Amino acid sequence: MPEFLKKRLLRWEAFLLVLLAAEIAVFGHLNPRFLRIPVLLGSINDFMSICVISLFVTLVLVTGGMDIQAGSIVGLASIVVGLLWKDFGVNVWAASLLALAIGAACGALSGFFVAYTGVQAMVVTLGGSFLYSGLALAATQLSDTESYKGISGFPRAFTAFSKYRLFGMIPSQTLIFLALIAVSYVILHKTRYGRCVFLCGVNQSAAEYSGINSRLVIMSAYIFSGASAALAGVVLTSYLGTAKADFGKELTLPIITAVVLGGTSNLGGRGGVIGTALAALVIGVMRFGLSMSGISTQYLDIPVGALLVLAVACRTFMDNPDISRRVRRLFARRKA
Amino acid sequence: MKILKTVAQAREFTSFLFVVALFLIVGAINPDFLSLQNILLSLNGSVVFTMLAVGIAFVIITGEIDVSIGATLGLAATVSAVLIRDGSSWIAAVLAALAVGAAIGLANGIGVMILRIPSIIMTLGINGVVRGLCYVYTGGKWVENLPFDYKALSQATLTGEPGSVTWFYLFAAAIAIGIYLLQTRSRRGRYFAAVGDNEGGANLIGIPVVRTKMTAFLLCSLFAAAAGLMYVSRIGFVTPTAGNGYEMKAIAACVLGGVSLSGGIGSMIGAALGAVIMASIGRILVFMHFSSNYDNTITGILLITIVVGDALLQKRASERARRKRLSARIAAKPGGGA
Repeated sequence: MPEFLKKRLLRWEAFLLVLLAAEIAVFGHLNPRFLRIPVLLGSINDFMSICVISLFVTLVLVTGGMDIQAGSIVGLASIVVGLLWKDFGVNVWAASLLALAIGAACGALSGFFVAYTGVQAMVVTLGGSFLYSGLALAATQLSDTESYKGISGFPRAFTAFSKYRLFGMIPSQTLIFLALIAVSYVILHKTRYGRCVFLCGVNQSAAEYSGINSRLVIMSAYIFSGASAALAGVVLTSYLGTAKADFGKELTLPIITAVVLGGTSNLGGRGGVIGTALAALVIGVMRFGLSMSGISTQYLDIPVGALLVLAVACRTFMDNPDISRRVRRLFARRKA
Repeated sequence: MKILKTVAQAREFTSFLFVVALFLIVGAINPDFLSLQNILLSLNGSVVFTMLAVGIAFVIITGEIDVSIGATLGLAATVSAVLIRDGSSWIAAVLAALAVGAAIGLANGIGVMILRIPSIIMTLGINGVVRGLCYVYTGGKWVENLPFDYKALSQATLTGEPGSVTWFYLFAAAIAIGIYLLQTRSRRGRYFAAVGDNEGGANLIGIPVVRTKMTAFLLCSLFAAAAGLMYVSRIGFVTPTAGNGYEMKAIAACVLGGVSLSGGIGSMIGAALGAVIMASIGRILVFMHFSSNYDNTITGILLITIVVGDALLQKRASERARRKRLSARIAAKPGGGA
């Protein structure tokens, strides 16, 4: 079974790679500037949050959960950095670390309720998304700066790190993304802990009976996703040079799309981070390419949403030959 | 007496008590809150959420979820507002809005039930697409300058004086109660809960599962479209982001009203009560002299507390029932019966 699963997933990932190449070719054809290496590599700056968060939301979906709160943690982390630095005089790097800790704590809180009370993950993270975005808004009240302006004026070193390019070419955000792919790959696919995550998604009771502290494992997945959302918030703050409470508000759709398009089942127990990383790139390049071809950013949800639905429909068709049979039967019945 | 007992045991009763307690507590801090005027304002203000919550309750009771209603509300509102602004008859606008709702509901139903896409993913995707269509349809501009008499519709009240119950709220409440009765008394109405409680079982005893769930998605989107019509009349203009995030508030309203997201449990009355709570939180904060910026924080805390509390209570209840069964079996043994 694992052999078969591995082969199937690899095939899906190959398909994503082809899709990515096709996108780049099409957008390059529409706008030759798109193909210049610095532009192509730099495009990741625009969708770094999607990439980073979806890597770790994969863990949550593999345990059979759902995470719709990550977007609100992005804003919370951003405003925490701004607030601590500007109004409390904390060193900006220490503030970033604290923001990461707060993101992890937010994930832990939701994860605790999901794992230990048995409430559906969807409801808990829905509550979490209200709570954390509300806290972010409340935090702006503590600051002297008007909330709609955002807190800005960060030290140079802080805003420079996200704009740094290795060899004048590879942006630091790409490096962070690559590093996090490696980290999440090792965590999920190469460690005992990763196997536990999968087992909890396949069958939580079985995991419990084999001596795994399944609740702790499930909770830890949310901690990872919370911390990654906070990291995305810090990087976004650094890149844009302002801290605002509403960063990440529109991220839920692309994040879930990336994870599901990457081949992770939302029923748990199946998936992988390589697929997620590729899918995040597919979505990000699509958004970037479309906006470079002169399409207003407000329309970008149409292709992303359509892609999500199409991808999942294709996968269910591929997985399950009975469905095509059922469709045929349904139409036959209608005619009769 | 028996009726009283059933009422007290119903889940909606808990949410009703919660609403009363909430109003009383806030009233104790600020007596102005308990004035009839304010209570009516709270009810009238919740009409859009009531329609959304009643609609989505169908889907949630069948054990699915629909996160596309915010965008559905937005598109229905946009389409109808453009028609009304350009001088079409109201009937055409209402029909157009409902057609938008029906199309989206049908798409969701087909995706979930025939293509077998998990409902959260299908409706999340549709939400993105429909929200994008709102921008395409208006070119990102606001729809303004609606005729005064359409806006006046939402102000029309039962007694004709301002400050009384609006016809809109009466309509929404009547629908909620009507559906509640249909759902508890009629055979087809019970299908929704049966499918949500145990899909396989419902299938085995001959309930048309696919049709029931598709009906639920259709009704949900139709209610969202109707909510869109009310939204236009109440607000008086439509932005391309109209209804953004309302889907989450409607789900929260259902949860607050005792509708279980795992399906099979809950009713329209509960959902409507939950909508009143959701819509009143902002108002309550103002009356308690807090900044309304804490709106989301309070919503989140309420939601998590209620859901977790409910889960713990249920866990205890099922544990107690199990123990009772066990001890009954032991007690029955010496008699030699069972």
